[in-house]
Amino acid sequence: MEYKAFVNRVFEAAEKAGIAPAEIAYSRGESFSVRVRQSKLQDYEVSEGISLTLRGVYGGRIGTSSTQAIDEESIDMLVQGVKESAALIETDEQDKILPPDPAYGEVKNYEPELENVTAQQKIDLAMKIDDLMQHQDARITPDDTVVSSAAETFCLMNTLGLNLEHRSNMIYAYTGALAKEGGKAATDNQIRWGYSLSAIDPEELAACCCKQTLEKLEAGNMSSGPVKVVIKNTAMADFLKTFCGVFSADNAQKGLSLLAGREGEKAASDVVTLTDDPLMAWGLGSCPFDREGAAAKTKNIIENGVLTTLLHNRKTAKKAGVETTGNAGGAGHVSPSNLFIVPGDRTLEELFAEMGDGLYLTEISGLHAGANPISGDFSLLSRGCEVKDGRIVRQVEQFTVSGNFYQLLKDIERVGADLKFEASSIGAPSVLAASLNVAGAQ
Amino acid sequence: MVSSSVCSLVLARALSRGGTFAEIFYEDSRKFSMTLRSGQIENAATSRPCGAGIRVYDGLRSIYVYTCDVSCEGLLRAADRAAAAVTDTPKTMDNIVLCDRPAANIHPIVTPVLSVPAGRRAEILRAVDGSARAVSNTITQVTAGLLSKEQHVLIANSEGLYTGDTRVYTRLTCSAVASDGTENQTGTNNPGAMMGFELFDSRVNPEEIGRSAAKSAVTMLDAPYCGAGEMPVVIAGGFGGVIFHEACGHSLEATSVEPGMSEFAGKLGQQIAASCVTAIDDGTMPNEWGSENIDDEGMPTTRLTLIENGVLKNYMVDRLNGLKMGMAPTGNGRRESYAYAPTSRMRNTFIAAGKDDEDEMIRTMGDGLYAVQMGGGSVNPATGEFNFAVQEGYLVRDGKIVSPVRGASLIGKGAQVLMRIDRVGKEMTMGQGMCGSLSGSVPVNVGQPTIRVSSLTVGGK
Repeated sequence: MEYKAFVNRVFEAAEKAGIAPAEIAYSRGESFSVRVRQSKLQDYEVSEGISLTLRGVYGGRIGTSSTQAIDEESIDMLVQGVKESAALIETDEQDKILPPDPAYGEVKNYEPELENVTAQQKIDLAMKIDDLMQHQDARITPDDTVVSSAAETFCLMNTLGLNLEHRSNMIYAYTGALAKEGGKAATDNQIRWGYSLSAIDPEELAACCCKQTLEKLEAGNMSSGPVKVVIKNTAMADFLKTFCGVFSADNAQKGLSLLAGREGEKAASDVVTLTDDPLMAWGLGSCPFDREGAAAKTKNIIENGVLTTLLHNRKTAKKAGVETTGNAGGAGHVSPSNLFIVPGDRTLEELFAEMGDGLYLTEISGLHAGANPISGDFSLLSRGCEVKDGRIVRQVEQFTVSGNFYQLLKDIERVGADLKFEASSIGAPSVLAASLNVAGAQ
Repeated sequence: MVSSSVCSLVLARALSRGGTFAEIFYEDSRKFSMTLRSGQIENAATSRPCGAGIRVYDGLRSIYVYTCDVSCEGLLRAADRAAAAVTDTPKTMDNIVLCDRPAANIHPIVTPVLSVPAGRRAEILRAVDGSARAVSNTITQVTAGLLSKEQHVLIANSEGLYTGDTRVYTRLTCSAVASDGTENQTGTNNPGAMMGFELFDSRVNPEEIGRSAAKSAVTMLDAPYCGAGEMPVVIAGGFGGVIFHEACGHSLEATSVEPGMSEFAGKLGQQIAASCVTAIDDGTMPNEWGSENIDDEGMPTTRLTLIENGVLKNYMVDRLNGLKMGMAPTGNGRRESYAYAPTSRMRNTFIAAGKDDEDEMIRTMGDGLYAVQMGGGSVNPATGEFNFAVQEGYLVRDGKIVSPVRGASLIGKGAQVLMRIDRVGKEMTMGQGMCGSLSGSVPVNVGQPTIRVSSLTVGGK
């Protein structure tokens, strides 16, 4: 069955079953991926996947059902699934089905040229990176190198005249290394991404990965106690990814965020402005509309330290007596688009100089285990560098940093200029923070 | 389902430009999930994951193509895309004759969840919610979920295999939040099994699940922060087995061993753990969360001894890594769905019961930490560095439990910890988890008796 014909059949069957209004979200994704190790192509993967979700009002409630199979059986399954789901649901807190907004912004995160890049060109790129990795240093064993590209079309249409479509794509390259010397072992991996082959510089990627792996071989231990820290941009982005749920009005209204009702109050130090920008050019999270079909818009969540708004969908906005921020994420939840701390004007060296003595925190790991997104507490296995008099003096490992995310936002004293999105829609610049607790392994 | 004649055609097409092996993994599944939060059912949805993955070996490289178009034409198109990537030279081929080999079912299912009236399913969640809130008025939020999945798979390959399996999973999840207005603490309990709705007749009491999650959250709310340092740690059974899963299990998967990225590569037959440690990976345990009848490459599932009295006996090996390593596959080839090529994965992985008395372990430990409930963790298989959260922990002073402590994490290196286990208790229990790796997220049990590690780095405040 053709997709268009299937959509029409589902809308007809829904109407016949008394489901009105009804809405279909459809996504079609294609991906290509190759994995290379020691000059050999290990895996070659091609995919085309679809997912179709029917939502609709039945008996006053909205039910949901989805499928990946475009066939007769799915039509009945979707309609019955929506009826059963609507009968079970007790809350009226769901994404609404509504007519389109009057206007939508323009977004570009699709590069048609990328679709013309051949499989062989991507294999050649992976081989080149792998080859460079093999010739950097005798202590290095290259791990997998992966080159992958993906494209997705997302459509949202309903029986109230909504008919939206957005297409995006991207390409990334990833490589890793293991270094061994005198009984010590260390690993590192690096990812580069963009919208064209030329966005990935194989020399820079391989050199950076090997350099960082070798540096880690020389890591020593940290002593315990509170320290001043410069948090590297990618590590700061990891904190944001883990704790971004605290900015969700849905979580706040359910008692899962301590920012509930704190709009207008200080939530961070003066130097912090946190922005959610769904219309950002070439952003991985860019889309002109959210999962409710509401027009997406750019807003500051925190402006010069003051909490200006939480992220809303129509349901949470209505409850709070405000307008939706266009952050409906599906299933009644709220999700950020491109979320980042607005960069300042300091270089990393200037941040080190301002810190004087302290820790340059470069990696935090085990975030799904050692961080509690509700309490904001974290205690994380970390890596970094010891800084003395504004200069890196040595690598350090096998220690945990602990603290609380809400407090960390208030402890940020300076924001760097190096905003980075590492193959993610959530990014940050490096920041200087007053204090985190370190527990060393001595 | 896809008929054997269609499978033969598709496999032949996949090998039409050369290659040594072809396989079809077809899946048509039903999922149901329901969530209760703030005392109301806020989410209930059915879904149908459906599609097929075609794998071709081109020498020792794997070509994988997957699609949601499972019509004969769609599968042939996917086979063509796979064949197009083959670099081998085409060989003359005999017809592929498929032989139907149904898998014996060792995990009987009584009541499929979707056959139970919706109202009864909702009652389970209400029971969790009610019992959790009854624990204390500091419980401000309870999220309870019911998840069920029926996975129908069909696996055919160019060696003539044509087989299928149905895996039925049911899981209850509970997360309770205790709050004193300025701070929140959470407690969780997420039991599951390869069972239908009968899970709630025999194994899981929803009230107990809600209560235990809430008690854990309330206990932690009043707890002072854990101090940091090196100390002996006693880790309780059940989900405590996550320490072995993360710090050792992943490093025994062929995915890490074959490329030499594991700290245990090349150590078969060597002492890698204290002699009181025997560890097993077992897919045959009836109706357990990580069990199967056949793995996702169509091999009958097995019980595999990983470590016996401290000596490394076996790695967990899938078909492709087996070819590369010159070892037989062990029935550990698993994948989340058709959207992943299979690789070596754990099933029900546990430290076997030992001989030590659990009270004695604490009595003789001096000052240290008693980790009753572990959170999740992660590990770098190449270096063995790991990090676990302790969800519910207690400070031990002079062999006596003195108070709960929060915010503790356990960090160290796998090989080191295995050698430092100095007590293994008598009763092995298991906990359920979803394990993420190259081939997606698969259900696994982790398990152990209560054990003691003589010295471990505890991260705290």
